[in-house]
Amino acid sequence: MDCKAAAPMLHAYLDGELDRAAVDEIEEHLERCEQCVRELASLQGLRNVIREGAPRHAASASLRARLLASGDVPESAADQVSDLIPQKRRPTNAAVVPRWALAASLLMAFSLGIASMKWYALESAATTNRQALDSELLSSHLRALAAASPVDVVSTNRHTVKPWFAGKIGQSPPVLDPAADGFPLVGGRIDYVANQRVAVLVYGHGQHLIDAYLLPATAEDLQEMPRVLQGYRLAAIRVQDQPMWIVGDIDEQEFARFKNLLTAGVSR
Amino acid sequence: MGIGIRSTPPDVGLVRDLTLPHLDAAYNLARWLMGSEQDAADLVHTAFLRAARYIHTYAGGNAKAWWLSIVRNCCIATLASRSRRDVSLDALAEDEPAQWPQANAATVEDTVHLSQCAALIVHHLEALPREFREVLVLREIEDCSYREIADILAVPVGTVMSRLARSRALLKKLLIENSVDAGTHGL
Repeated sequence: MDCKAAAPMLHAYLDGELDRAAVDEIEEHLERCEQCVRELASLQGLRNVIREGAPRHAASASLRARLLASGDVPESAADQVSDLIPQKRRPTNAAVVPRWALAASLLMAFSLGIASMKWYALESAATTNRQALDSELLSSHLRALAAASPVDVVSTNRHTVKPWFAGKIGQSPPVLDPAADGFPLVGGRIDYVANQRVAVLVYGHGQHLIDAYLLPATAEDLQEMPRVLQGYRLAAIRVQDQPMWIVGDIDEQEFARFKNLLTAGVSR
Repeated sequence: MGIGIRSTPPDVGLVRDLTLPHLDAAYNLARWLMGSEQDAADLVHTAFLRAARYIHTYAGGNAKAWWLSIVRNCCIATLASRSRRDVSLDALAEDEPAQWPQANAATVEDTVHLSQCAALIVHHLEALPREFREVLVLREIEDCSYREIADILAVPVGTVMSRLARSRALLKKLLIENSVDAGTHGL
């Protein structure tokens, strides 16, 4: 690959839009090409400047209230042609799994096949209902498994994962890599769980993937035994003083081993 | 199908489910496109009513992209009706094969101090033509994927990629040209 071919790819690389093969190609080029490395650093620098200085404006509470109060939307008979059938609202193509930016409730309906999309109350804050959280975590995990890639950033020798989260999310996850113990860090992504953007670390174990979500957990959650949901194990753990939820379909023994490795802070 | 035209109230619950989780994203986009808090808030409200009216056009898929495309279209319509000038995309030469900006040895951070940049960045972003500003806001601030941006702008992913590259090059150029150290680096 020469610089001319690499130049457009640098943007896609920075934006996490390349598949693994393309990531390998461009990283190989970057190992040999100082100019492209400088260009990439420049793009990253520009991103830092934007993230540092350009605010993300949030809607005011009064605007939100205004919309919630817009309950009676005026109808205009002339342009409301309706042959609306409830089924039309459901996503029709189950083979294409949407990326993590979809609203949590749509994803829930999508992956768990629930007919009513009002199943999950969106106006509420992060749910304290453990069952709903388990379902959401599983749903997110399944969606990631079905996607073209379960990660938005790939872990490489240059420890790309932790810095990738900075600027994207308020709190960076504790990044461990117990690769020598059979659980290499594959990469990370940002997902939606309980109506929040959540940092996720993705680990491999043989052919399996385990997701670790940075999400609050109660003392009860942390003390509980791992639960099993549709064949997937879930548990809340503390990693370097931060709560995380791990989800994966590995056996009980290996799951316990992974849990212990992370809790002990193993990274080699 | 029914004979003639039937009028059915839009499912407000569904409209809320599709839009409210992305209210901040909608407001942020509107704020960057309209330039003021009041305009942005009014715009989002208008867009919400429009989303309710056109809910039947939603056929599943990415709700955020569907909603933000409505917000964006409302912004463009409002801005166009205020200014009589047409914003011509010809000047941006969208149909040309993607010309990737030349790799340039100067890193933004080398030439300008971050703290200086941060203060200037809002000014420069607001000065960019809307077509460039919106891709940067959607990518760098809203963290949308190329696919989502393509859906919101109703253009192919390739156009998103080339426009993003051009936007970044333009913004970088503005920052470097306007920095105190501009004279010390051979540009």
